[in-house]
Amino acid sequence: MARLRGVPAWVPTAALTLAALAAATAVLCSGPLSVAPADLAAALFGRGSPEAELALALRGPRLLAALTCGAALAGAGAGFQILFRNPLASPDLLGVSSGAGFGAAVALLLGAGVFMTQTAAFIGGLAAGALAVGCAALTRSGDGRLALILCGVVAGALASAGLGLVVTVAEPYSQLPAITYWLLGSFTRATLSEAALALVPAALGTVSLLWLGFRLDVLSLGDEQAHSLGLPARPLRIIALCAAALMTSAAVAVAGVVGWIGLLAPHAARLVVGEQAGRLIPAAMAMGALFALVIDRLASAFGPAELPVGLLSAAVGAPTFLLLFVFSARRA
Amino acid sequence: MSLVLEQLVAGRRGFRLPTLDLAVAPSEVVALIGPNGAGKTTLLKTVAGLLSPLHGRTVGPGPAAYLPPPGAVSAGFSALHVAALGRAGRRRWSSALAPDDLDAARAALTRLEVADLADRPFERLSSGQQQLVLIARLFVQDAAVCLLDEPLALLDPAHSLQVETAIRALADEGRAVIASTHHLPFAARADRVLSLGPDRIESASPAAALAPDRLRALFGVETTACPCCGHAVA
Repeated sequence: MARLRGVPAWVPTAALTLAALAAATAVLCSGPLSVAPADLAAALFGRGSPEAELALALRGPRLLAALTCGAALAGAGAGFQILFRNPLASPDLLGVSSGAGFGAAVALLLGAGVFMTQTAAFIGGLAAGALAVGCAALTRSGDGRLALILCGVVAGALASAGLGLVVTVAEPYSQLPAITYWLLGSFTRATLSEAALALVPAALGTVSLLWLGFRLDVLSLGDEQAHSLGLPARPLRIIALCAAALMTSAAVAVAGVVGWIGLLAPHAARLVVGEQAGRLIPAAMAMGALFALVIDRLASAFGPAELPVGLLSAAVGAPTFLLLFVFSARRA
Repeated sequence: MSLVLEQLVAGRRGFRLPTLDLAVAPSEVVALIGPNGAGKTTLLKTVAGLLSPLHGRTVGPGPAAYLPPPGAVSAGFSALHVAALGRAGRRRWSSALAPDDLDAARAALTRLEVADLADRPFERLSSGQQQLVLIARLFVQDAAVCLLDEPLALLDPAHSLQVETAIRALADEGRAVIASTHHLPFAARADRVLSLGPDRIESASPAAALAPDRLRALFGVETTACPCCGHAVA
């Protein structure tokens, strides 16, 4: 965990945020329809050229969705990794992603539209998370973290089984491709209102995680230490889990199952800002937003037929993760 | 105000410790000795409120701080942050610790002569250094009752001595301290010794509790020297 020495902790986070914003501007301005950044800024306030307004209307929602999902998944992943003090913890830990996939698949099977599908995904994700947290609360084991991991695996397995059932009974020529495509993840579906709808739960979760701040550090020391330091471990952990589940569900509802961001971004951020929750979560979110943006850009770079974002994030994320791991292990 | 244990029976399912009546005065260091598995940790955790007692109750001057044996706490952030988290319970609504908390942590680390470790990741420190940082956290937390579980385990003689001095300093500021230990010279220098055997708990002066016949009855072996370090016991 070699950090940049002598640099205040907020500097890397600010730099990452600026990089994400710069990348966002570049994405909005470039492409078949290119506009000047100044024109774009004017369009944002409704006074731009028709080209700039068109670029904003075409690329804006998708960009907003990518930024929101990337940041939310990374923030949730960082929260889980701190809470469980486990570098392999990711937003899928409570079965949220599988639950969301199941919810979306059921909606698609019933012929629902995009909005209903996303709502079903959101509810499915939260339901799986609630199932995991609820079951874990029933066990009265000393440190609740093991129970949570096990119950999360169970919730995820149940949702996966349900998903398998839906895939089996789905009409193979009309419904199945839609379900498969949804599961692979994409930011193209997002309209402005849907992206904005995802923004609300994601922001709510983010505010909760940021408020928890140093309390997450205490929770990472284990329940006994938290209690001994005068903090109520159980309620705080439930707040943290709900926040992370909310963020994950919001992201998965808009984008489908996009893996790796929630695992990769916190690791990359940790190399720069260290493990303290108050620093790691904002840095990881900025990193996640940037990563999602780059992946989304790559997805549309290979000709008119877009690659699913979930595929690309795994294809890019897995080797990057390995590189990061080797890098950090050698530095240790 | 003293820490008072009234008719306290600690234990878990299928495991019941003898009834204990005890009062620990402020500034007093009580050493808790007994064979492995006798229930020292269970007793400390019960007094700390981490386990509920089977019977009886604990009346204390305030919440108790419990410190597990060296090596049991692991954290990736800095030693300074670990020490500053001693103030975590006082920050009700803010999302960050106050600068004041960091100052208190720095002062405590300086006091225990480990200020140079402040920016190092806690998990990279040696067991002895970690233990000193955690005791610094007890100073920052300022709990009236400090319960230490084998605070000298795994430590070399130098760190052992440093930790022992720090424990005495904790007590000298008016805290009631109970520390379990297998290091009998530490028990000999405590104010009182609590001997925990399978069927009884006895509180006595160190000289009485560490007499050869009492140790033989407690541990079931002949000990004239500390089994953990070979030093003469009394």
